[in-house]
Order: sequence, then structure tokens, then C-alpha cells
Amino acid sequence: MFRAKRTRGLDRRTVEWRRSSRGPALIPHPPNPPFPRGGVICSPPWEGGVGGVGDNRPVSSTGSRFAFVLLMGLGCLLVSGPTFAARPEPTESKTALFQPANPVIPGFERFFREGEADRTQGGRLLLGELNCTSCHKAEKGVEAHLMRKQAPILDHVGARVRPEFLRAFLNAPRTTKPGTTMPEPFVGWPAKEKEDAIEALVHLLASTGNLTDTRLNRKVIPEGRQLYRRVGCVACHGPREGKDEPLRTSVPLPQLAAKYSVPSLTSFLLDPHRSRPSGRMPALSLNQNEAVALATYLLQDIEVSFSPNLTYRYYEGDWQTLPDFDTLKPVSEGTAEDFDVSVAAREGNMALRFEGELQLEAAGDYAFHLTSDDGSKLWIDGTLVVDNDGIHPPSTKDGRATLIKGSHRLVAAVFNGGGGVELGVEISRRGRSRQPISGFLAPVKKDPSKAGTDTPAKPEVPKFRPDLALAEKGRAVFAQVGCASCHQLKMGDQPIESTLSAKALATLTPASGCLSGKPDRGHPDFGLDDVQRASLAKAIEALAHAPEQTPDAEGMIHQSLLAFNCFACHQRGKHGGVEPARDAYFETTQKEMGDEGRLPPPLSGVGAKLAPDYLKHVLADGAKDRPYMLTRMPKFGASNTSALAEAFSKADPMEPVSVPEFSESARRVKSHGRFLAGSQAFGCIKCHTFKGIQAEGVQAIDMTIMTRRLRHDWFHRYLRNPQAFRPGTRMPAAWPDGISLLPKVLNGDTSQQIEAIWRFLADGSNAAEPYGLGRDPIPLVPDKEPIIYRNFIQGVGPRAIAVGYPEKGNLAFDANDMRLALIWQGAFIDASRHWTGRGEGFQPPLGDNVVNLPEGPPLAVLPSPTHPWPKERAKALGYRFRGYRLSQDQRPTFSFDFEKLHVDDFPNAVAGKEYPALDRTISISTEAPVENLWFRAAVGDKIEAQGDGWYLVNGEWKVRIESAAKPEIRVSNGKTELVVPVRFAENKAKIHEHFEW
Amino acid sequence: MRTATAWLFFGLLVFAPAWSRAADPKEQEYYEIFTFPIPDGVVLEAGAMEMMPGDQLAVSSRRGEIYLVSKPFTKDPKEVKFTRFAHGLHEVLGLAYRDGWLYVTQRCELTRIKDSDGDGRADVFETVSDGWEINGDYHEYAFGSKFDPDGNLWVALCLTGSFTSENKYRGMALRIAPDGRTAVTTSGLRSPGGLGMNAEGDMFYTENQGPWNGACALKHLKPGAFVGHPASFRWYDEAKTLGPRPKEPQSNSRMMDEAKKIPELLPPAIYFPYPKMGQSASGIVCDTTSGKFGPFEKQMFVGDQSASTVMRVVLEKVQGRYQGVCFPFREGFDSGNLAMLLTPDGSLFVGGTNRGWGSRGSKPFALQRLNWTGKVPFEVHSMKVVLKGFELLFTEPVDKEKAADSRSYSMRTHTYIYQSSYGSPEVDETTPEIKSATVSDDGKTVRLELDKLEGGHIHELHLDGVRSASGLPLLHKQAYYTLNYLPVEDESK
Repeated sequence: MFRAKRTRGLDRRTVEWRRSSRGPALIPHPPNPPFPRGGVICSPPWEGGVGGVGDNRPVSSTGSRFAFVLLMGLGCLLVSGPTFAARPEPTESKTALFQPANPVIPGFERFFREGEADRTQGGRLLLGELNCTSCHKAEKGVEAHLMRKQAPILDHVGARVRPEFLRAFLNAPRTTKPGTTMPEPFVGWPAKEKEDAIEALVHLLASTGNLTDTRLNRKVIPEGRQLYRRVGCVACHGPREGKDEPLRTSVPLPQLAAKYSVPSLTSFLLDPHRSRPSGRMPALSLNQNEAVALATYLLQDIEVSFSPNLTYRYYEGDWQTLPDFDTLKPVSEGTAEDFDVSVAAREGNMALRFEGELQLEAAGDYAFHLTSDDGSKLWIDGTLVVDNDGIHPPSTKDGRATLIKGSHRLVAAVFNGGGGVELGVEISRRGRSRQPISGFLAPVKKDPSKAGTDTPAKPEVPKFRPDLALAEKGRAVFAQVGCASCHQLKMGDQPIESTLSAKALATLTPASGCLSGKPDRGHPDFGLDDVQRASLAKAIEALAHAPEQTPDAEGMIHQSLLAFNCFACHQRGKHGGVEPARDAYFETTQKEMGDEGRLPPPLSGVGAKLAPDYLKHVLADGAKDRPYMLTRMPKFGASNTSALAEAFSKADPMEPVSVPEFSESARRVKSHGRFLAGSQAFGCIKCHTFKGIQAEGVQAIDMTIMTRRLRHDWFHRYLRNPQAFRPGTRMPAAWPDGISLLPKVLNGDTSQQIEAIWRFLADGSNAAEPYGLGRDPIPLVPDKEPIIYRNFIQGVGPRAIAVGYPEKGNLAFDANDMRLALIWQGAFIDASRHWTGRGEGFQPPLGDNVVNLPEGPPLAVLPSPTHPWPKERAKALGYRFRGYRLSQDQRPTFSFDFEKLHVDDFPNAVAGKEYPALDRTISISTEAPVENLWFRAAVGDKIEAQGDGWYLVNGEWKVRIESAAKPEIRVSNGKTELVVPVRFAENKAKIHEHFEW
Repeated sequence: MRTATAWLFFGLLVFAPAWSRAADPKEQEYYEIFTFPIPDGVVLEAGAMEMMPGDQLAVSSRRGEIYLVSKPFTKDPKEVKFTRFAHGLHEVLGLAYRDGWLYVTQRCELTRIKDSDGDGRADVFETVSDGWEINGDYHEYAFGSKFDPDGNLWVALCLTGSFTSENKYRGMALRIAPDGRTAVTTSGLRSPGGLGMNAEGDMFYTENQGPWNGACALKHLKPGAFVGHPASFRWYDEAKTLGPRPKEPQSNSRMMDEAKKIPELLPPAIYFPYPKMGQSASGIVCDTTSGKFGPFEKQMFVGDQSASTVMRVVLEKVQGRYQGVCFPFREGFDSGNLAMLLTPDGSLFVGGTNRGWGSRGSKPFALQRLNWTGKVPFEVHSMKVVLKGFELLFTEPVDKEKAADSRSYSMRTHTYIYQSSYGSPEVDETTPEIKSATVSDDGKTVRLELDKLEGGHIHELHLDGVRSASGLPLLHKQAYYTLNYLPVEDESK
């Protein structure tokens, strides 16, 4: 329902694609324009050719603004210059603008282009990838040698591809998408006839669906870019940025922005097999958000701008809650697209009130979700529905309303104090997901009285509307020129049938028809180059001679790996593997695993390794079993790969391993296996995750899926000698030379030990956790004497020295700042973070009531009593930590030097009335008197003197100070500080502190 | 990418049937392991060791404790006593004793500690140098050395996360004088596993396989040198003692090609082929016991944490730089060997931990001692490069007929890709032909003449056919010589 509504809403909109700085412009075609002769027009320079002329130039009156611009970015860029206005002559345009391209099939370009390549095999690959046998019927025996790639299904192409793109593509497939396998169908047609035929086809195709557009959410472009680089797109399509020459072996992409909208590309990415069923474009197991991000990244070149759907009023002022707008005069007002807060002149101390018309297709209970920073409110028809008021970081509140079908007045207002301002409104109906409310807002009605006062009106560019009579004509063309031979296009339930007839494959003669260098009318022009034509001829000849032979398993595998371009990622035997130019895009979360952690595994022997069902599943559904590998194994579809899975199993030899017998019960055997996997034995869990629980070191494949993934006999052989199967692997040999390092378990029988692990793991997610998995807490508990813990401590730093006292008072000294950094009560610290695994990160105190004491050096020479306290770390200022001494009862006194001063800091926990307290003596000695030396005891928002030397800080903790000079409370850098002048007597000074908190 | 034949070759070795070894000599006949009983509650993840007065062995732990082990040379486990000398230190990976002070290399600083009141526990913890930075990354380890002949201690600083140098002098080695003066000495470190000197007092460290390191290695910390990983270059401006910043190495090259272009680049003295010799090289000691530790005087011994082994290394200087050969020496330690200490009486103390990095020895931590039984193993004592091949010295006279038969030997060579990404396969494989094997009159030296020596390659020699005069096979039949530099005429023997 929402979708339908959305579409209708879009219909009413003026949609314009404008050129952003990265690409050429695309402006939708007007309803029935004469298609220009030659078919190609570049945007005039004011549309933004070279030099990136902006979008805001005044509109020319020539009308060529409406010309559909072919998205030949390069081409357009070449014809730059201020004088360009007329259309280029067709011949010129061909030579000057476009590089003729042959169909690019990565496997062919990589393995069959150069040198001594096997032409027959290369030609066979082309026969499949160009789908030759869809026209040229082949005998059954021949078909078995081919991996046919079905052309895209066009049943709903109108919902997927922009009509303007279809027109351009039909007109000149290889210039619109260089490297395409789509042939030029209208070879030798008179221009007018061709133009009419194409127009009819465009209307036919466009009539199959309705393309929806949404605004580009530019925020997700970086995520999309990262996905493109990481998940595997680059493996086939090549990097889209950087100076490097495009790779010859990349699957070409057209100007995607001209072809798709974000929703249509998103649905394609989520399920590419729906329109491209042969699995050449695999599904990368993207979730909805990822697909949107990737589509947005790929389509970032266009800027879809809609007509405004809201009016706004902008106010300035300092508020704690939303103001009463009726009493205020707006600083400015106007129209906006969505809740675009950038219409405000400033981010801070401002408010915005948006108003629009909400159109609902159906009556019902609706939920509204209001996200803002700071406060906001949402009213529908004058009733407050969501209240998200007050000062707060971005947060969302929900409200409900029962609304009738039709129009409703919507008002949303936001104010902001400091920081970034944000406002978002979403709507949902029961059981449906949330969506931006913008799809439900009607365009702002033009107020004739205000015409010309706002931004200049954009020219109305009506949306392409398919003409059904033309579409019917297109249907005939579709059947006649052979589109239907390759493409499925169902009208009703029936696919259009091709009326084009072609010779059978066996009767083809080289160098004629499609294979001639210059095909004539009636033959599609694939743009094949000499090598490709020669290869095809060879393959056709070879197949004619040996149609009866069935391809062997290895041959079938090789053919599949070429066709699916598996070789872009995987090596099998001597063939394939990541090409050097793409290598850098294969990344890992665990660099220390080396190539093993980032490059997809070799497929040599994979049939012997993976369990047949699992292999089938991986090929059909993709996999993400290697948590460290950022490239994903994509999904190729069961119908495309089940034969491949079987061929793997057939081709890779396996000697069966004799499974040992046990005299012990099955339970005992499993418990041996559990022991062996644990940290007291082979420690498998140190590197492999287990039921998703992280390992100590690298996070290798989860052990509990092993028995599903792997063949039983392979598991046995691999564990005996991992290097033999995966040279260079970090997987250690636990049974070097086949001999167990644990002779006491199962009598040291290697085979039994491996089998015990297998049986234990066969319990999958029900397997008991092996010893040493995860992290048990290691609380350090001071008993009679203090415990010192020197490590990375949160709130202190990497050079922290924590001391836990038997009195249950604890502290941490920071040897970078020479400061007492933290004090807390109760439990001391949990050492498990640092004493289990590798010990990454900072550990907070285990106890309670943690007080952070001032950062920075505790002592400083200040030129004046108002001079700000130094901000640098003490170590950087030249303070030198000297270590500590322990008293007879093991209590530390910390020492440091600074210029002429030597300082001993002796903090010491003491029992308090109810809670432990802390005494601290700071002894300072100097060789010569030091003037203007201060000690900083506290920093806070509020420090109150309470008499008798007591000070209360932030109302939370208090300190009593004894010193030769009276402490002072001062305000500095927006904070309150408690500072003590240091007075020396005989070059010595002392300050006592007593903390209670 | 990887050389399939190389792995086939390796595969054959590994698949050598186990039964053929039944009659073979065993390591334990020559070197026996004594395992110290560790009291309950003591987690002795040994990071460093040192002898203290009164024949007490100090062992530091990754948990920041230092234990004193009394009677460390005993054969009776019941005599051994552990007392805790200190705690609260930060992952101690270096101990050195001098003049009443125990110098302790912690992650954060070099500290010297002592027991001033005689209660058996350290009470003075004096900071000697904190002239480097840490940021909370677990990988920012600091390994410490023993005193060098000039009285300095060396600290080798791991990179941040083992890939980058986020803080001051990560990826460099420092020399610290007893008064705390700290000088940055060598750049290009990545992930050290231990420090130690040869008999001449030159300092070495072990490096682990990773970026710019095709395999684990033993590297000479020559002052002013750059030893391979360029992440530490960013500190050259502040580390004035080092001289000008070297040229960046080019990735995807070969070590010796880059060494020709970058004068400061000092190639590893020894590569420990991964994983044939091990996967994580660690502690380093040198035998200066005058024969108490067996026939390998002045040779070096290097631990491996993953394989729980000790390897043997013989260095020589060719064209003024150290290079040489490594052999397997002793396997079967209980945990991941990290710290090593060889005492003058010929006791090799080996301390282990496998926390965070698994090891073949499955105990989480261990303290063991290796002693020579007095029986001389039949081993390749040393392997030196000569003009047209190698000269092998054996610990015992060889069966001359077998040793003179070139078919008793096989050799292949390889090198590594010198690259910014992690590790390297073995590449550029060659199989030199052994043209002749000439045995000396005393039967202890064999000279192998090859058709070609490959400069910049590791020469992997297998001596499967060699027997001693009394008919024994070698205790270890393989040797890996890192031939960075070819001998020149006047250096050859």
C-alpha cells in the first residue's frame, strides 16, 4: 500500500537528474521527442562538461536542455568547449567520442587472449557467454559442452531500468555500455526505420513496470564505497576510482546512474538472479541497508532533486524547549525538500517549523517516529502526536494516531541549542517497517502570488509515459529482430516468441553472419574482434566433430570457473587466483593471518575437502564462514551450480580414511575430544571461535561448523599435516609426523584423538564448551598486604600503577602525569583482560565509587595565581618518573623529579568510619628555593570550602588539606580548581590530604 | 603463486614413514629436559630469566611477577623452591643482574629493583629509562637484553599492532646506559621475540614472520642499521643518533635487491624457514660454556614459541655481514618457548607460555632445563659457505664412502618476497646440482661443490644419506643456510 502510494506521489513530482561534479548529466526525455539523428547528443557545456560548471546556471531557451543526454561520460568530456551547440555528425561522434569495444568476458580476456591459448576452449567459453545457441540451435550433445548464459529477463525491466537508458542502449549497445555482450540488433537498418523500431521497443519495455526514484542519502556513500571495495565487487568489476587504467579483465559496467534508480539497483543487488538467472552476477549476501548503501555509492553521480514538499519558517533564539512559534517572527521562510535543516542560517540557537500535506492512501493506525537533536514535536491536524522536546543528543520518540484516508496537515518543529541539529520523521503501519515520511508528502502547491520570489522555477520535465499503441508495435519488433531469442519477456503468462530464424550451429560457416568482420542486415553485430571470431570458429568446428563426448568432471569444472569468473578470486591447480591489480582490495580484519586471512581459499582439492552438501550450499547460497575475511563468497544459485558441486566431488580424489574403533562409550570419546580441543591440550580454541565465542588470538573458522563443512576423511588427513594441504597456513601441526604430543589421551593414538575431536564437534552448537574458552574473571583481592597492578587502566592511561589495599580503598597512579589519577572503594581490579589472551585494551576498576582526580601534572610553577594550569602531560613537560619504594608493609611511595624538585607521593588507604578513606602525604624537596610553585588538589564544576580544611568537590567527594599555605579556590578554563601554594622551609615542603568519598 | 614443487618436496619430507626412525638416534639421548615443578597458584608465564647471587634463578612472568627459584641446577624436583621476589610489574620480558640490582624491562620502562631490607622481597623500584611510549595496544611489547660489553642494556620495541609505529620509538631498538641515557640504535624492527648476543658481544634479536618479513629470522642489531620494516622511519627526525632516514624499501621486491639500493638495510643473518623450523622465533643464547653444553661452543641457540623447540644457529661473517646456518636442535618442550638462559655450568633454562599464541607444547606455562648428557650427537657441527659451495664440519667422523657420494645430499634454494603484506611464500626456487662431495682425511669435514650458489637465497640441505663412521644417521638431517652474500676470493677458506 505504501509502495503504491509512493509511486503515485512520485508521478506528481518533477523529477530531474542533474549532473553532479563526477559525471555527465541525465535529464529525462520529454514524452515524445523526435529521436535525434545519429542518436547521440552531448549535453551542452553549460550543463557541466569539462570544468564542472555548476547546476545553477540559467536555463537556456534552446530546448536542448530537454535533449536526452547519452551517458557517455568520456565522450561528453571530449566535446568540451564553450562553442559546442550543434549535434555532432554521426560519423564524427563515432570516431571522436567512442571507443569501439568488443564484448568483454573476463575469463576470455584473462586466459584466451594472449599467446598459446587454447582457441577451442576460449571459443567454447564465448559460445556460452554470448548465448549463441539461443539462435543457432545446437544438438543436445553439444549443449552439454557449453555453459549458457541466459540474457537478462525483461519481464519487469520497466521497473528496473530507465527508459532513456533503454533507448540509448538499443541505439548503440557497445557505446552505451562498452564491452557489453549485447549485440547491435539493427545492423544496416535505415535510420528512420531503426529509430521507430527502437522507440517502439522502449515503449514496450517501459510498459512492463514503473521505476521509482528516491532521494540520494549521501550519508551512506562511504559505507557503499567500502562495501564495493571489500565484499567482492572489485574482484569482477574492478576498482572504480584511482589512477589505474581500467582492467581488461573487468566485467564492464555502464554509467549506472543513467540506468538505475536507487530502489531499482537496490532490488537488483539484493537478488540479481531474478533478472539475470545464470549466476554470472552473483548475489553478495547484502542486507537491505548494505544494498541501499552500495546502490547509493554506485549512483552517486546523479542528483535526484524533487520539488519541495514542505514549507518552513526559521527562527533564531536561545531556548531550552521548543518556543511558542505564534509569538515569534520568523527570520526567514520558504519551501524545502523533506526536513532539510540546512535551510537554517546557523546550527546553534535556532528553531525550524516545517509544514506540509500528508497524504494517506488508507485509513488506519499509524505510528510516527520523530528523531531530533535537540528537542522536537510533531502535530497532525493540529494534535500533538510525538513530543521529543528538551535538550538532548539525537534520540527518537514515537507516537500514534488513527487517521482517515486523504490529506492531513503535518507540522514538525525542532530547536537546537549547541552542536549539530537533526530532524527526521518516519511513519509506519502495524507490522510494516518504518519509512521516511517524505514519500507521503504532497508537493507544495504553487502560490501564484509568490511566483518569482522564491528560487527560480525549474522547467517542468514530465515523466516518460509509455504509449501502449507504440508498445504493441514494439512487441512485433521484439519478436522479429531476435530480442526474444535471448531475452525472456512475458506478456501475461506467455513469453514473446522469437520469429527470427537462424542456421543451426553445426551448419555455420566461419567468417559469415555474426562471425564476419562486418555483419550485414539480419545479423546482430557483437563487435567481435579477430581473436574472438577465430576462437568461435575453432570451437564451432571442434564441437561439430565431437558432439558425442561428454565433458569430463575436471573439464566441466574448468568451464564453470571460467564462466562464473571464480578464477577472479580462487585458484585451482595452476589456474586463476587474484590478479595483482586487484590484490589490494582483498582485505582481512586480522592482518597477521597474512594472505590466508584475506585471499579466498584455493579450490584445488575442494571436492575432497568440503562435504558434498556443504559444497553445494556454499556455491548456491554463498558463505561467510571465515569471520576474518572481508570478501564474501557470493551466492551463485542452486540451479547454476549443482552440477559444479557434483563435478568437484567427482574430480577430486579422496582415499578413504579408516575410522578408528573405540572401546569407550560415545560420551567418553566426546569428552576426550573436548579435552583435546581445550587450552590444556591442543588449544584449538586459542585460534578458532567456538559457538561464536571469540578465541584468544586470531578468530579462525568456528569449530562447531567443521563437521558440517568438512569431509570426515579430509579432516583426518588435514589435521595430521595441515601444511601439505594449505602451504604456509598458520594452522599448526598438533601431531607432528603423525605422532601425538599427548601420549596419555586415548593411548596417544593419533587417529583416535582426531576422531574424538570430530565426534565432539559433531554435536555442533550443542557441543560442550572446551576448557579455557572465553574469559573467566581474575579478581585481585588484597588480603594482608596491598597488591600492585601495573597495566593499561581505563581513566588512567597506559602507564598506570594501581594499588589495592587491604582496607578496601584503591588507587591508581599515572606514571605519565605523575598524578594520583583514580581512587575507588571496594573490589580492586579484574586482571582477566590482561592476563587472558593477548591482553588488549584498558581495564576499568572493579570496585565502586570511582573518583577521577585532575589530569595533568599535580605540581606546576605558575607565573601568576591566575595563570592557567599546564595542559600538557607531565612526561612531555620534562617531569621524570623515578619509580617507587615499598614500605615494610608493602605500601608504595611514588617518586618523581621536576627541574630542581624531588617529590615523594605517599597515598595510603586507611579504614574510615563506614567506608575506606585515603591519606596522602606529598613531600617535596629542592636544592634551591622554587618560587610560585602550586599543587593542584582538585578540579571540578563546583568546589566548596567547608571549614577546618575540608573542601567538597562537585558535591561528591571531599578532601581535607593540611599545608603551610592556605588552599585557594579559583576559576580557570571554565572549571573550578582547588590549588595550594607550596611554601618551603629549609628547602622542604609537605602537603597532607585526607580523602573521604 | 606459491611454488607447488617446493611444497611437494616438503610434503615428501613430512610423510617420511615414522617407523624408519625407530632405530634412529633420539634427541633425549644427548640433551635431556628437566621440568621444574611449579607450585599451585603460581602462573609462571616466563618472559625472562637471570641468575641472581646465591645460585638463585630469577624468572619473570607476563603477569608482572618475578620468582626466585632456588636450587635451579638440581636433579631432584623436591629440592626446588619458588619464592616471589616482586610483583606488580608490567609484562616483564627482560632481566639482567648487575651490582646488587636486577634490571627489569617492563612494557613501560626499564626499572632496576632490589631488596634493600633483606626480607627476600624487592622494595626499591627505580625507573632507569622510560624513553619510549606505549598506548594500550597489546602488541607494544618491550624485550630487554643482558648487559652488552659496554655495559648497556638493549630494549627492542614491537610495532603497534605489529603493523604500524604509533608511538615513539616503536619498531626500534634502544641502548640504555646504567645511568639512564637512552640512545635509539637500530630501526626496522617489527615483532621481536627475544634479544641475545653472540660470543663476540654483538647484539641480535629474533624477528617474526609478517609484513616485510617473509619468515622468522635472526637479525643483527647493528647500530645505525635498518633491519627491514619501514614503519619506524617516522621517528628518524627525533632519533638523532641514527643518522639520516633511509630510502623507503620497495614492496614486492627481494631483500637483497633492496639491500643493494638502501645502504642501511641489513638483511637477516638467518631465516628460519616457515614453518619447517618454526613459526615464532623467540629467546636467544650463546654457548660460552667452554664445552659444558656439548660440542657447539660459541654457537647460538634460539627458541621457537609455536613449535616448542630450540634451534641451533652458526654464524659467520661474509662480506662483513653476519649470515649462516640454522639446524633443528631439540623439540618436545612443554609450552611455548619464550625466555632462554644458558648458565656457565651448561644449563639451558627454557621458559614457556602459550597465552594468546598457541604452541605445540600444550602447557599454558613451563620452566624447563636442558642439559647435555655428555654423549656427542652425530650432527652437522657447522656449515660455511666457500667459493663454489659449502664446507660441512661434523661432530664425529663420517662414513667416508657415503659422505663422498653426492647422492647422499640434496639441495634446493628459495627466497622470500620482501613485501609490505604479511609473510611470503617460498619463491624463486632453484635446485642446485651437487657436483662433488669431498671428505677430509680426518673424516670430519666435507666440502660440497655446487654448480651454482644462489645469492640472496636460503639453501636447504638434506643429508639423508650421510652416516657416521660408526653407522649412525645424523640426529638432524637438514640445514638451512641463509646465503645473503657470496664469499669473495680472499675471504674464502
